[in-house]
Parts: sequence; C-alpha cells; structure tokens
Amino acid sequence: MSTTSHEVAQGPHHNSGAAPTALSAHSIDKKFPGVLANDSVDFDVRAGEVHTLLGENGAGKSTLAAVLCGLYQPDAGYLMRNGKRINLSSPRAGLHHGIAMVHQHFRLVERFTVSENVILGSRDLPFRLNRRELNEKVAAVAESYGLPIEPDATVGDLSVGQRQRVEIVKALYQGAEILLLDEPTAVLVPTEVEKLFENVHAMTAAGKSIVFISHKLGEVVEISDRVTVLRNGRVTGHVSGRGTADTKELARLMVGRDIELNAQRATHATGHEVLQIRNLSLSINNVSVLNDISFNVHAGEMVGIAGVAGNGQRELADTIAGLVSPTTGSVTISGAMTTDCGPIQAREVGLAYVPEDRLGMGLVPSMSILDNLLLTRDRQTVVDRVSVRPEAARLIEQFEIKANGPDHLARKLSGGNAQKVLLARELSGGRGATKLLVVCSPTRGLDVGAIETVRRLLNDARSAGQAILLISEDLDEVLSLSDRVLVLYRGAVVHETPGETAQLSQVGAAMAGLASDGHA
Amino acid sequence: MMRIPFRVVFEQRGETPRRLSLLVPIASVLAALCFGAIFLLATGYSPIDTYSNMFRDGFASFNGITDTLALSTVLICTGISAAFAFQMNLYNIGGEGQLYLGLIGGAWAGIALGDHLPTLIMVPIVLLCGALAGAAWIFVPALVRSRLGTSEIVSTLLLTYIAASLIKHVIYTPGSFFRNPNTSFPQGRMVADSASLDSFGSSRLYPTFFVALIIAGALYWVVRRTEFGYRIKVISDSPRAAHYAGINARRTTMWVMLISGALSGLAGAMLIVGPYGKIEPSIITLGYGYAGIVVAALARNNLGLIIVSGILFSGLRVGGNNLQVTTSTPIHIGVMLQGAILLFALGGEAFRRYHIHVVRTHVAPAKKALS
Repeated sequence: MSTTSHEVAQGPHHNSGAAPTALSAHSIDKKFPGVLANDSVDFDVRAGEVHTLLGENGAGKSTLAAVLCGLYQPDAGYLMRNGKRINLSSPRAGLHHGIAMVHQHFRLVERFTVSENVILGSRDLPFRLNRRELNEKVAAVAESYGLPIEPDATVGDLSVGQRQRVEIVKALYQGAEILLLDEPTAVLVPTEVEKLFENVHAMTAAGKSIVFISHKLGEVVEISDRVTVLRNGRVTGHVSGRGTADTKELARLMVGRDIELNAQRATHATGHEVLQIRNLSLSINNVSVLNDISFNVHAGEMVGIAGVAGNGQRELADTIAGLVSPTTGSVTISGAMTTDCGPIQAREVGLAYVPEDRLGMGLVPSMSILDNLLLTRDRQTVVDRVSVRPEAARLIEQFEIKANGPDHLARKLSGGNAQKVLLARELSGGRGATKLLVVCSPTRGLDVGAIETVRRLLNDARSAGQAILLISEDLDEVLSLSDRVLVLYRGAVVHETPGETAQLSQVGAAMAGLASDGHA
Repeated sequence: MMRIPFRVVFEQRGETPRRLSLLVPIASVLAALCFGAIFLLATGYSPIDTYSNMFRDGFASFNGITDTLALSTVLICTGISAAFAFQMNLYNIGGEGQLYLGLIGGAWAGIALGDHLPTLIMVPIVLLCGALAGAAWIFVPALVRSRLGTSEIVSTLLLTYIAASLIKHVIYTPGSFFRNPNTSFPQGRMVADSASLDSFGSSRLYPTFFVALIIAGALYWVVRRTEFGYRIKVISDSPRAAHYAGINARRTTMWVMLISGALSGLAGAMLIVGPYGKIEPSIITLGYGYAGIVVAALARNNLGLIIVSGILFSGLRVGGNNLQVTTSTPIHIGVMLQGAILLFALGGEAFRRYHIHVVRTHVAPAKKALS
C-alpha cells in the first residue's frame, strides 16, 4: 500500500540514521472545486529533523500542511504517526497526536497576555487560574528552547518576531512534537530570522520535528535537513542533506523551468528629479508616523525603501499619493506641489500608485477588469465603457493576464493576475502620462513566474524613463532591483546606500534599528 | 463518548449557480407557505382553500390584480428607497417616517396652491413637494452619518416615531392647516381637485403606478451606467478603494441618503394624488415604509427586481387582507405569512452562498485503491 516513491534519503547530519519516522503521509489526495491541490503526495518527517516543503503559491504545500495538522481531511490517502495509522478529524485531534501548526497569520488575542494566549483553547483548566504557577510553567517551556518571552506581557505590545515566538511556545506547551511552520520568515527581519533558526535548532536537538514551509530558496537550503518540492500538487523532487541543496536546482524543481531573477539596474544615467520630498512629517493621533523625511527620485531611477512592516511605509506611500495630508513638509511631483491636493491632482501631474493592498484598495473586488481600469481615470457623467473595452482587451493581452475578458471580476483573479491588472492600469496612464510610479510590495504572494513578469514590467517602466519608488518588505527584492536603497525605521530614513554596493548585513541592521547612520 | 455520527458542513461557494438564484427564492416562498400551513391546520383552516383564496384575491381577479398593482405603486417606491440606500450599506430603515412626511409635504402643496393650476402641472408639484419633504426628513441623519459616522439605523428609525406624532398632530389639533375644518370628526383636509388623479375605470389603480415603474427603471439605469452609480459601487464594495481613487464618499453618502428619503416621500405624495386625496391618519398603522424594507430584501437590493418583488408582496398582502372578508380567516394569518416569507427568503441566502452538505463523522480512513 505504501508506495515509497521518494528516494532513499540519508538521515539528517546531526542525527544520522537512527531517527525513526515521526509522521508520514501516504498518497494524499485533496481536491478543491476545480483544483487538485494534492495529487498522491507522500511525505514524511523524522524525529529531530527539519523537513522543508518547498513550492510556489498554489503548489499545494499549505494544503498538505493543513492535512498534516488535521485542518483538512484528505480525499484519499492516510497519515501515520510513529508507525500507527491515525485519522485527524480536527486540529485538536492533530494536537492530541502532538502535531501543531504555527500559522503565517498569527492566531493570538492581542489583549491577552502571553500566558493567557498560550493556554487559550486548553480544556482542562482549573476554574481559578494560578497565574504565578502558569507564568512559571510557560517561562520554563520557553527557556528550554531558547525562546525568551515574558509571560506577563500583553501580546498587543509585542513585535512580530516575539508574537511568532508566542505561537511556537504555545504549540510546545500544548505538547507538540511535530511543528509545522507556515512561511515563518515572511514577517521577520534578518536578525529575527537568525534567531528563529537558532530556536529551530534547539527544538530539533530536543527531538522535535519541524516541517518548514517556504518558497524562499536561500533560507530553505540553510535550515533544512531534507527538502520536498511540490509543483501543481505533485511532488517534483527531494533533496537531502543540510546546506547541500543547490538553489538553481530547487528553483527548477519548483517552477519547472530555469528562471532568471537576477539583479537589473538602470542602464543609463538618470534624469531630472521627478519626486521631491522635503522634511515630510506625519502624526496620526499625536503619534509620529513619519519623521522629517527628505529624498528625491529621478527620472529613470528606481529607489527602494526597505524596512520592517509598520515603520511608516504605507503612510509614506499614501502621503505621496495624496491620500493623506502630511503634518509638515511637502511633496512635489514633476515640479508641481501636490501636498494636500488629493489623489486626483497628484495623478494629473503624473503619479501612478500601486498600493500594497491590491484587492480592496487598488482594485474593487466585485467589479470587472474593465470597471477597475476606470477607477483612476476621468469618467464622464455617463460612464463610457464601450470605448474603453478595446483598450481593456489590449491590456489583458499585453500584460498576459489570465482572464475571460474585460468583464472578468477582479475578485476571481489570482493574486498574480490581480497585480498585473493593477500594474496595467497604473502603467498605462490615466489622468496624465505616468511620470512617477509608487509601488508597494509588488510581488508579495506571487509565484515565481508572476514575480518575473512584474519585475520585468518595473524594469521596462524604468527604462522608459519613469521614476519608480519601490516600497517592499522583501529585502532581497529591494536590494536586487533598486538603484538606491533607503531604510525606513520608525518613520525616519535611517540608512541610505547605492543599490549596487548595498550590504545585506548593514541594511538588515538598519531595518532592526541598529544603524550607524549611513547618510553621507 | 457518544457522538452524533453526522455533521453539517457549510462550504462557501465561489460562485452561485444561476439556477439556484432562481430556485432559492421560489423554494423560500414554498417553504414559508408550508410553514404557514402548520398554523392554519392547527387553527382549523384548510391551507389549500386559504391559499387559493389568497391567490385569487391577490392576482387572479380584476379587483385583486388592480388592488395589488395599486398597493405595489407605493411599495415599489418604498422598496427602491430602501434598496437604493442598502446597496451602499446605508441602512435607511426610516422610510416609514419619510413616507409620512411625503404625505404632509404633498398635502401641503395640494391644499396651499389651490385650484389654479392644471392637473398636469399640479400633480408633479405635489409629488415633488412630497419627495422634498421626505428628503428633508432624512437630511439630518444623512448629514451626521456622512460627517461623523453616526448610525443611520438609529437616527432614521427614531425619526419615524417623531413623524408619526407629527401626522397625529396635524390631524388631531383643532384648527390645523391639514385638518378638514368642516367636520368635527378629525380627518384630513382634501387637496384641490387639480391635485387629484382619476383611477382607471372602476379600479383603485392610479397612473402613479407607471411613475413608479419609470422611476425604478431610471434608477436602475443610473446605478448601472452613470458615474454616480459607479461611485456608489466602489464605495459600497471597498471604501478604501474609493479613498484611493479620490472619490468623495461623504458627498455620495449624502446624495444617496437624500435620494432614498425622497423616494419614500414620493410614495407618500402618490397616496395624496391617488387614493387618499388628504392626509389619512390611519397611514401610521399600515407600515408601507417598513414593507419597503421587505420588498428590497426579497429583491436582494436589485433595483430591477424590486418591481417583481413589490408586486408579489403586494399581492400577498391584498390576498391576505381579503381573507378576513371572504372566509373569516384571521387577517393575522396573512401578516404571519408575510413575515415567514421574509424569514425564509433571508434564510435561503445561506443556500446561495454556501454549499451545504452532511458528512459522516468518524469515517474509516478512505482506502485508495492501488491501480
């Protein structure tokens, strides 16, 4: 019955050979309307190892993880735990067997303390909680894996990295032996990633198994004892041995072809200043969000803004786009002062803005592609859709948007195609010819193929002489695309460096607020 | 430990199949009729006789169908009034009060302007004054909603009670402008002859029915084709996208609410130029404004479908009201059925939005044949 299609893998380096299989999945099928998310997938993880599930978005890795932890029941196939067949009817059943998932989007109650969050969902609590004892127990669990957390802290006050630690401690406290980490590094800065990897090692050394879910090749090679690559719901390959995997090879297994995501920078001298920001400050409810920011973006130049989420990136973009009026300072686009003028005026002088939130801000989900194209354009009293239709059809073709035509609803587009629609609209000009393009997290959540396209589009726009401000939490993206990199920390620019010579360590340190000022 | 071996699973649908969009409302009405049948049987009436009487009195006789269309004139207007605001997530549930103000505004024009103008001019003036009065009644709720975000649900509802008191005040106060001075019994003063339309033949149906149809059609077009409708759609679906695109949500909110109020006011004025000819204080017991909410809900706020749901609901109401006259079945059966239909129609939404299936729990692990 058990078809061991995977190659005979060597054991993890630090625990070679002896470790038994802790959890295995056999011939898992999981169907969703229109998609076979998992197609006869085999997977196993041994005690004390890190086994990575690698794949693009939609490859089926999250589905498999959901099956492994009991969130979904497979349509076919079965799970085995320590050699015994198990049937997980719910995540609680998974937990009963020592399997826990740490979700990418944390499931914590912000108003509760760390301890309260950790015991949330436990069914055998006494009527009266002994907080002191509880806090000690939580702290003990945390410390034994090198996860320092303060049991009494309110979760709402914690950083993202600390919250993730709470989730992990919660899983460990509940007795998890197998932890599924779903894209755990997506929200972390480089220093926090290092810390997380230390924790992972501490856990595997204690005999825990880690299923690491990711699409970032570099870190996968670093952390994994074994890698299983998924594509279109099928296992396309296995790689064993820590640090031995080749990123090129993994990328090929993941995408099914060779890909090129290498750095490209402006090939010609940059032109005049298109965007000028002077002493920009913004306070919301007396909390300073942006603090005395000044910089320029030139025609044909891409300036990247790096930073951990929540350090003022969104507010900066919104202020430039005219959606928010700054407290002090000014924004000038193409020589026209657009401070306090609103988004329509800013667009008239050449602004295009791709917000971070595609569906809901950049696009109206319940509207068609055609209507979404009209969103940032000048509409007549009676909306003239007939004359826009051919253009919509042309853009769908030009940007290779997978849709049934201009009437395809935005909410039915995949993430990558939604982003292409947004880019198509913003790059094709609306109220005026585009001179400045502000893009936020343009490739977040996209698969590798779409990332390639989006980056190519941005490069083309730069080559065409548009000034581009790229705001992204994906540090690799900022470093590989930008001609200049600025680091935003607590609403201020704390570091500036040319893209070509930017040092990951320096930028990473600046993002974490440890910068020696890199300004000239 | 004993467990129920079955579990009901709600799975969200990506898209509602077309046949379900049609099937669910019909099934909802049938389910409501079955529900009502339980009560009819329990009280000793035959459901089949009752329902066939209702159908005959509501749709299948000359008086029935004309009365139905006459009532639907009002309910289509209050229905669009509700739906027009609801589609932008503005819950104007004070259509009832705006309708009273329409009655007052229309009656004022019809009395004050006297019998000097031709009907063709007089009637539109009366309708316009009613609409303006309805809009005026929602002005403050609209203003505080668009500026401060104050819940329009509370403000419009509470104003309805004030409007009801206003109706009583203008009728029961001796010497009131709106009170008939020639009778000691308190009743409304008749508007000028030129402000009254004639009904068709022996029916109680007035030409205002066609005005209601035209307005429903015109607003349907406005929402689908114009910049104003586009803005409404963007704001209702994602306010952040509206902000992003520089759409002024405040102004649009204001206009949508004012138009909603005007439509309910218009419904009141239609009663003045049509069947009433005066302020009829019993209006506060009829709930035409509230019925508009039901009509809008049945049509799922689709302005095109309001005409259909308005006529259907009117028929049900006319048929239900006649039950007492023709068969001595309590009138409340009809009222109860109206409520049941609304409940079942709203409950039926679950079937449109979710794929509901029953699964066995604790199944033996599925065996996959090796082939």
